[in-house]
Amino acid sequence: MIKNTVGIIANPVSARDIRRIISNASNLQTSERVNIVMRLLSTLFSCNVNDVYMMPDKAGLTAMLLRSIKKEHAQSEGIKLYPDLHFVDLSVTSTVDDTYKAASLMVEAGVKVIFVLGGDGTHRAVVKELMKLKDLGKSIPAICGISTGTNNAFPQMLEPTVAALAVAQYVNEKISIEKALVKNKVIEVCVNDKVADIAIVDVVISKDMYVGSRAIWDAKKISEIYLTYADPTVIGFSSIGGLLEPIERFSIDGLALYMSEDSSKTSIVVKAPIAPGLLSDVPIEGHQKMVADVCYPIRIEKGIVALDGEREFSFNAGQKVSIRLRKNVFSTVNVNSCMQEIADKKLLCHTLV
Amino acid sequence: MTVSAELSKDSMLKAYRIMKTIREFEERLHIDFGRGDIPGFVHLYAGEEASATGIMMHLNDNDKIASTHRGHGHCIAKGVDVIRMMKEIYGKKGGSCEGKGGSMHIADIDKGMMGANGILGAGAPLVCGAALASKFQNKGGVAICFVGDGASNQGTFLESLNLAAIWNLPAIFVVENNGYAESTSRDYATAVDSFVDRAAGFGLPGITVDGTDFFAVYEAAGEIIKRARNGGGPALLECKMVRFFGHFEGDAQTYRGAGEVEDIRENSDCIKKIRKAVTANNMLSESDLNSIDKEVNALIEKAVAEAKAAPLPTLADLLTDVYVKY
Repeated sequence: MIKNTVGIIANPVSARDIRRIISNASNLQTSERVNIVMRLLSTLFSCNVNDVYMMPDKAGLTAMLLRSIKKEHAQSEGIKLYPDLHFVDLSVTSTVDDTYKAASLMVEAGVKVIFVLGGDGTHRAVVKELMKLKDLGKSIPAICGISTGTNNAFPQMLEPTVAALAVAQYVNEKISIEKALVKNKVIEVCVNDKVADIAIVDVVISKDMYVGSRAIWDAKKISEIYLTYADPTVIGFSSIGGLLEPIERFSIDGLALYMSEDSSKTSIVVKAPIAPGLLSDVPIEGHQKMVADVCYPIRIEKGIVALDGEREFSFNAGQKVSIRLRKNVFSTVNVNSCMQEIADKKLLCHTLV
Repeated sequence: MTVSAELSKDSMLKAYRIMKTIREFEERLHIDFGRGDIPGFVHLYAGEEASATGIMMHLNDNDKIASTHRGHGHCIAKGVDVIRMMKEIYGKKGGSCEGKGGSMHIADIDKGMMGANGILGAGAPLVCGAALASKFQNKGGVAICFVGDGASNQGTFLESLNLAAIWNLPAIFVVENNGYAESTSRDYATAVDSFVDRAAGFGLPGITVDGTDFFAVYEAAGEIIKRARNGGGPALLECKMVRFFGHFEGDAQTYRGAGEVEDIRENSDCIKKIRKAVTANNMLSESDLNSIDKEVNALIEKAVAEAKAAPLPTLADLLTDVYVKY
C-alpha cells in the first residue's frame, strides 16, 4: 500500500437540477470541474503525492480530463506534470451507485483522504458508504469537500490549490491528525427502528407525494426539519435553524424545527434562504435541541423524507419513522487549520544558503 | 404551489394511459415491421415514454411541438389520434398525412404537432418560428423542440438556442439523451457532454432530469413551461433516458454492451417505475392500472386492424396536399 495516496470523487452532474429554473442557482460547467481537478492534481504532484485514485464517469468529466492531461503533457517536453491517475475499476452506471462503489474501492486502495467535488448530496453519498465500511471494521479516510453543487452547506467554497496543499502536507505526515482533521455528526433516519438512511446536514420531512425532481423549494410542504448543525451563513435548511438558534458545526448537539400548519400555532416566522436566491417565510411552531443517540419520532403519518436537500423516499401510515443524531462519525480535513500549521511550521519555506 | 400538487388521480390515470399507449404502440410496430407489414422506416420510442408524457401533460392544443425521426411518442402524448397514426405508418389513406408521409412525417397541426422530422435538428428553427408567433400573439403559448443527443450537435440546434435567447422566445429545447447518436456513443461524439453546459453557453438555464422518472420530468417541465408562459424565456431540459430498441428497426445493435437491453428493461423501465410509485403511496391501485392496460391493448388492436383494412393512396393522391392553401 502506498501511504500518501488520495482519492477524488467528482460528481459530474451536481448542480444540474430544477433550482437552475426556480432560483437562478449556479451551473458549474463540466470544463470548470475539470479545471478544478487539474488544479488539485498539479498541486498534489508538486507536493510529492504521486498516486491519485479517481472515480470514472460517462458524463464527460473523465473524457475531458484525460484530453486535458494529454494535451498538457504533449507540450511539456517530457516533464511529468501530474501524478499517476488510477481510475478505480467500476462499471459506470451514472447513478449514485458509482459514488458508493468508488468510495469503497478507494478505501480498499488505502487512500488517506478523499476529495469530494459536489454538493451536500454527493458528500452524503460518500459518507454513507464510509459509515458502512467503518461498521465492517475498516479504517476509513477523511473527506476534503470542495463545493461544486447547489446548496452547499457542507462543503466549503475552497480554492482547490489550497485544499490540495493542505491535504498533501497531511498525507505526507507533516501535520498531525489532531491538527488536520475534525469529527462530524450525522443524522440517522430510522424506519421501523432500522436505520434506513443518513443525512450529514439536514433531514426534511415533507408532505410531498413523490420524489420527483428531488429538490425541495416549497416551504409550505415541510412538516419538520432536523439539523446536524444550524448555520446562519449557509444556503438551505440549515440556515432556517441558524437564523433562529445557531448550532455549531462541531458541537455535540443538533436542532429539530417543527413547522406550523396554521397561523394560530405559529410562534415565529423565519425568513431564510432555502435555495440560492430564494428567501422563504418559514412559519415555526417550535424547536428543540437534539441530543445525540436519542430517537425523535416524526410528526406526520405519510410523506417524503428529504436528505441534505433532496427528496429520497416515501413513507406511509403504519411505518414508524424516527430521527437520531450521532456524533464523531467521520472526519473532514480542516483546511484552515492545516494551512495555519503549514505557515507556523514554515513547511513551504526553504532557506537559501 | 408547485406543479406536483396539481397531479390529481385523474391526471395520474391520464399520464399512465399515455405512457402505456406509447409503449404498446411501439411494441406492436416492432412485431409488425419484423413481419414485413410496414413500408419504409420506423424508429421506436419504447423506453422513453416518461419524457414525452411528463412534458406534454402541461401543454394544450395551442402549444406547438416539433418532433424528431423518433416521433411516435411525442405524437401520442400531444394527442394525435392513434388510429390515424397507425394508418399513416402503414402508408394508408385516412392516416394523419393520408398515408403519404409515413413514420417520420406524422403531423397534426390542430393538435399543435408540427411534425416529426427525418432531418436531425431541423425542428429547432421551426420551434423558434412557432415561439415567435406565440410571443406576438401574447396568449401564453409555448413551443417545444425535441432533439436527441446526436442531433444536438447540429448547427441548426445551436443557432436556435442563440436565436431563442436573443429574442427571449417562449421556446423550450428538450434533449432526449438516450446515449447513442444512431450507433455512435455520446461519449465519443459530444465534446461538451452536458447539454446544460451548452445551454449556459447561450445564456439559457438548463436542467438535467432522470428521463425514466415520469415525476421528475413532469415537475421540471412544469416549472420550465410555466416560466416560458410568463415571459421568462427559453430553457433547456435534458432527459437522460434509455431506448429499448435499436436506432431503427432492423438495427443489429452491435454497439451495445452484452446484457445492456435486458438490464435497462429490468431496471430503467419508466412504466415499471411509475406503476411502482403510484401503487406504493396508494395514489392508484393495481386494478386501476390493469384496466387501462386492457383498454390500451384493445385500442392498438383496433388501430392495426383498421390500418390493415384501409386502402392505399392512389396515383391521383400524389398531386394533392403538396402546397399549403392560404
